[in-house]
Amino acid sequence: MALSFDARIRLGRFDYEAAFEADDEIVVLFGHSGAGKSVTLQLIAGLMRPESGRIASDGRLFYDSASNTNLRPQDRHVGYVVQELALFPHLSVAENVMFGMEGTRAERLRRASILLERFNLEGFEDRAPRSLSGGQRQRVALARALGREVPLLLLDEPFSALDDSLRRTLRSELLRVRREFGLTVLFVTHDLREAHLLADRLAVFDQGRILQIGPPEEVFRRPVSRRVAELTGVANVLRGEVVARNGQGIEVNVSGLRLRAAAPDEAPDGALHVGRSVEVMIRAERINLRRVEEAMPNLVAAEIRDEHAYGAGHTLWFRPLGVGPELEVDLPSRPYEVLDVATRKRWTLELPPEDLHVVPAD
Amino acid sequence: MQLRSPRADIVALALLVGLGGISAIYFVLPFAGLGERALSDGRVWELTRSSEVRAALVLSLWTSVLATLLAMVLGTPVAYWLSRSSFPGRSIVDALIDLPIVLPPTVAGVALLTAFGTRGLIGEPLDELTGIRFTFTSTAVVMAQLLVAAPFYVRAARAGFTSVDPQLERVAYTLGASRVETFVRITLPQARAALTAGIVLCWARAMGELGATLIFAGSLEGKTRTMPLAIVDAFERTTLGLSGAVSLSIILLVVAAVVLVFFRAVTPDDRGSAWR
Repeated sequence: MALSFDARIRLGRFDYEAAFEADDEIVVLFGHSGAGKSVTLQLIAGLMRPESGRIASDGRLFYDSASNTNLRPQDRHVGYVVQELALFPHLSVAENVMFGMEGTRAERLRRASILLERFNLEGFEDRAPRSLSGGQRQRVALARALGREVPLLLLDEPFSALDDSLRRTLRSELLRVRREFGLTVLFVTHDLREAHLLADRLAVFDQGRILQIGPPEEVFRRPVSRRVAELTGVANVLRGEVVARNGQGIEVNVSGLRLRAAAPDEAPDGALHVGRSVEVMIRAERINLRRVEEAMPNLVAAEIRDEHAYGAGHTLWFRPLGVGPELEVDLPSRPYEVLDVATRKRWTLELPPEDLHVVPAD
Repeated sequence: MQLRSPRADIVALALLVGLGGISAIYFVLPFAGLGERALSDGRVWELTRSSEVRAALVLSLWTSVLATLLAMVLGTPVAYWLSRSSFPGRSIVDALIDLPIVLPPTVAGVALLTAFGTRGLIGEPLDELTGIRFTFTSTAVVMAQLLVAAPFYVRAARAGFTSVDPQLERVAYTLGASRVETFVRITLPQARAALTAGIVLCWARAMGELGATLIFAGSLEGKTRTMPLAIVDAFERTTLGLSGAVSLSIILLVVAAVVLVFFRAVTPDDRGSAWR
């Protein structure tokens, strides 16, 4: 493993405890501010010392409470880029990139030039950081972090201050750099889309704990708890109860409505027994709108209570006509227009069983 | 809302010009007086070359420079520590450091006497054991200047270090720079303008020190009689008189102007302040 991490620390009322491993991949640390994402990076960089645990990278022991090992940040050889970038304003671009390098000045200058070229910054060597654009500064910060031989790159919301189109460019650049340098990257963000786009694996942080870690598809589609569902933007998290269970799946009762869900694969046996109180989740964009009722499972007759248009689509809030829960549905602009949702208020909602995710309630 | 009448504007303008004129006259006139006196009184130029004036100038220059260097050596770590730490009672430490700034210098002189004088807290045992005495020595001059002037440097340096983003230092650590290396290569250059201002303020205060020096070090020609003391002394003796005082003042004025111009020239105007 390129990185194995296990640490506990108490900071006032903030209680942190997390453990995970990372290979040559991008692990996105996702969560609200104060969830413990940045703390994780600082613990790995050596800027903060855990109370106990064990942190190792590429076989090098950074910290180990058992053997009382604690490497200084200077000796950890970890690339660390923060949101504010922290470029040294009194040094030129080249001097910034050279800062962490060893060797003669000529040698360092040569290597800095090569690095800058790889970040499309050739010719910027003598410029002051202040004279660069946001995206250029960003790349200087990345180049500086890679100035030393680092197997591990820690990025603390590095793109948060930039506009959307620039972020897109920088994300693809990051993916390219990761491949070229064979890096393990830990990327902190509170942006869902950014997390989805970059993550090989996604770790959801909340109140100093990792609630779930796995491939982003998995985390987004199968949150392990109501909290993860809320954090990852699952609009519909409904309280229900298991009423039947067989080989094909389970049936739950949500506000008087019987819904069928695909069999949860990883749920421990017995956790979802009949009578168990559960959370039933479905993302707003997975719900289908139908004009007529057909003979298929999981249909809810409902009418639009409220709606909200944003650039790429519409969010609709439905009130059930009979029994059932209130539901939120996301619809892209095109089907919204084709279906003529603007004039028609009563619909049949289809909740596909494979998109219905059921977990035991707390 | 009622618009202001043109009449009100005229009154405001007249007031502005009047007050501006008065303050200009008030602040410029004294220097004009010095200049006029220097030009009309032949003895002023004669006296600048006198041995008394020369001794006072030499003494003032080296004691004030030494006091400033000591303030930098002792004050820089304190200023940095204060800028980077928070602890209970911090405001008390801050207040103690600022105390000599608001304290009348004569009080500082008395305080120094009670500590380092021949009958003082440390002065007395030191005298008995080793025979070392501070009072009426040039060392005492430096001590008086240091006590009174160092807080000006510490204050400026602390503000300068506080304005340096700690994130810069943390990133430098991850790039392999030790704490000392980071301080020298990152923090110091960032705080350069503030440190320079602190040095100038501290030196100017040391150069002008009178009260504490007079009480703690006395006024011995060549040993403790610095320029400001020499000016006071000039009035008490008929040989120098006002002409002597003017001549000393002109020299101090020129030295101060030279130092100001020099530091303005070396102080970075744009580099080191990325936040503008």
